[in-house]
Amino acid sequence: MAARKRASPNNSEKPSRAEDSSKTAAKSPETPPSDPPIAPPKSGFILKLSICFLVPYLYLINYCYNIDQELKRSILINAGLSLAGFFVTVRMIPVASRYVSRRNLFGYDINKKGTPQGTVKVPESLGIVVGIVFLVVAISFQYFNFTADSNWLVEYNAALASICFMILLGFMDDVLDVPWRVKLILPSFAALPLLMAYAGHTTIIIPKPLIPYVGLDVLDLGWIYKLYMGLLAVFCTNSINIHAGLNGLEVGQTVVISGAILIHNIMQIGASTDPEYKQAHAFSIYLVQPLLATSLALLAYNWYPSSVFVGDTYTYFAGMTMAVVGILGHYSETLLVFFLPQILNFLLSLPQLSGYVKCPRHRLPRFDPQTGLLTGTNDGTLVNFFLRLFGRKTEKSLCILLLVFQAIGCCFCFMLRWILTGWYK
Amino acid sequence: MILLGFMDDVLDVPWRVKLILPSFAALPLLMAYAGHTTIIIPKPLIPYVGLDVLDLGWIYKLYMGLLAVFCTNSINIHAGLNGLEVGQTVVISGAILIHNIMQIGASTDPEYKQAHAFSIYLVQPLLATSLALLAYNWYPSSVFVGDTYTYFAGMTMAVVGILGHYSETLLVFFLPQILNFLLSLPQLSGYVKCPRHRLPRFDPQTGLLTGTNDGTLVNFFLRLFGRKTEKSLCILLLVFQAIGCCFCFMLRWILTGWYK
Repeated sequence: MAARKRASPNNSEKPSRAEDSSKTAAKSPETPPSDPPIAPPKSGFILKLSICFLVPYLYLINYCYNIDQELKRSILINAGLSLAGFFVTVRMIPVASRYVSRRNLFGYDINKKGTPQGTVKVPESLGIVVGIVFLVVAISFQYFNFTADSNWLVEYNAALASICFMILLGFMDDVLDVPWRVKLILPSFAALPLLMAYAGHTTIIIPKPLIPYVGLDVLDLGWIYKLYMGLLAVFCTNSINIHAGLNGLEVGQTVVISGAILIHNIMQIGASTDPEYKQAHAFSIYLVQPLLATSLALLAYNWYPSSVFVGDTYTYFAGMTMAVVGILGHYSETLLVFFLPQILNFLLSLPQLSGYVKCPRHRLPRFDPQTGLLTGTNDGTLVNFFLRLFGRKTEKSLCILLLVFQAIGCCFCFMLRWILTGWYK
Repeated sequence: MILLGFMDDVLDVPWRVKLILPSFAALPLLMAYAGHTTIIIPKPLIPYVGLDVLDLGWIYKLYMGLLAVFCTNSINIHAGLNGLEVGQTVVISGAILIHNIMQIGASTDPEYKQAHAFSIYLVQPLLATSLALLAYNWYPSSVFVGDTYTYFAGMTMAVVGILGHYSETLLVFFLPQILNFLLSLPQLSGYVKCPRHRLPRFDPQTGLLTGTNDGTLVNFFLRLFGRKTEKSLCILLLVFQAIGCCFCFMLRWILTGWYK
């Protein structure tokens, strides 16, 4: 859950419809003075972060591996569109913030309560901007992908339909604040297009050491595979949603995992000769590049101190996109290892989520306005666990620590894959 | 479209943005459309054009985009009475389904039948869920539908018209919406002063609506037929919609063989 408190409903104006002819859009004399504009984006930080990632990535694409021209061209066109998406998102977030604030979709930063910043109204649900720009980029890209055939188009559009559906349900959740039981199953609905249209194979390759026990080297799971796909979608979305609460944590973890996904994809494309396998990883690249670019744009505003909050819209959208690419790229086990911190957080949270231990509304650390430090409570989250382990920290350094942990987890995954090559599959 | 319509209902975007939202929503269709972009020239015009089939290429896609913008916004402005938006969608959907079945029955070309079947597969759910909404939205309304609904319904009908390849027929079903759009043009273009709501005037004593001078079909009907209750006016407009659809069927029947 994000570190914000929703404004109470009795001081919001309920919009009236056709009957109330005295309500005019922007010309009414009763319109309150417009809220101050949000702080400018932290471009320097984003630039440094992007360069950290882009240098190895571009090196891998252009020099390290000999990637075939058509594929490289498509990837670079997609990268170009994603870059355009980055600038559009940076431009549109302040615009959307005004509309969102006007409709009382804002929160107060709980981790700054007691300081002047704790009284600032921070616009919520800016994930909607990211989602819409992502969709426009991803939809437009298929026009430029000259390697597309009708099967690819079906899969791609099913993926986009799932992601779009998830953005809709996520935004609806942010606006209507649905009960948590409904929140849990929203991703299952959103994953429906993928499940219904999935025409790929539903087989899994049995790890070599287990073959003597199973008796087969390839096992066809049938409908169980689709169930797994649905559950993966539910897991990815909700696990990002609960590993939250610090400025920049949700977007930051998405950025780190996306970077790792892209590197993994390029490495697999470079190391493989099977065209179908390469297409699967290229498919993943075509969706994760726009995700990374638009998320970086959002991070420019959401990084500490946050000018905007991302809302469930963003966490659901990001989780669904990553689940979709993991499924359609056929590397979901690798994706799950990238999600190691999220899995740890989920396991730590289980006692409270299941109701075994009392679960408060927000399981955030305690903020001390005097020192500006956070102290870990006994809640079962990775955030609190790190605070109990490493002592009191500022919000920013804790977030950086958690993101470094995320990155270490991804490196660990790469190392694991390298060690287990040949042995596992 | 549902996402953008809901976002519009929540954030109340400016009307200029409202106009182009359907173009964005139509992008997947335009990008993924791999069907033919040719049109069949009506027989009487063949001597003048010189071809019987004309490939429009990108102009066809432009037409598709504009049709989406038109269908969504025209339903959105032909509104303001309890049950009008949902009612018009229900009437047009019914007409679409009848048209689809008739075409499937009368045809032998499997591709043609598939196109109309495609349309049925999307319009049946539209009709069923709209009837459910109408159960609450009919006079007196317990709920309002929002731009979410009008955009969703308009986009669905534009999509089936495009992918079923019967968009000219669809446009004739939309006759009242076209008339409403033409009547609204002077105010929408700014030529005549345009108030926030162009609704009729309600008199609480009599419970009757009186037509104002605004350029909408609702007000036009009131000026033509005199003062009416909201419910009877809505029924009148929906009957007009149904008559328009019957007129379309009749037109198609008369022009069979002559037109295409």
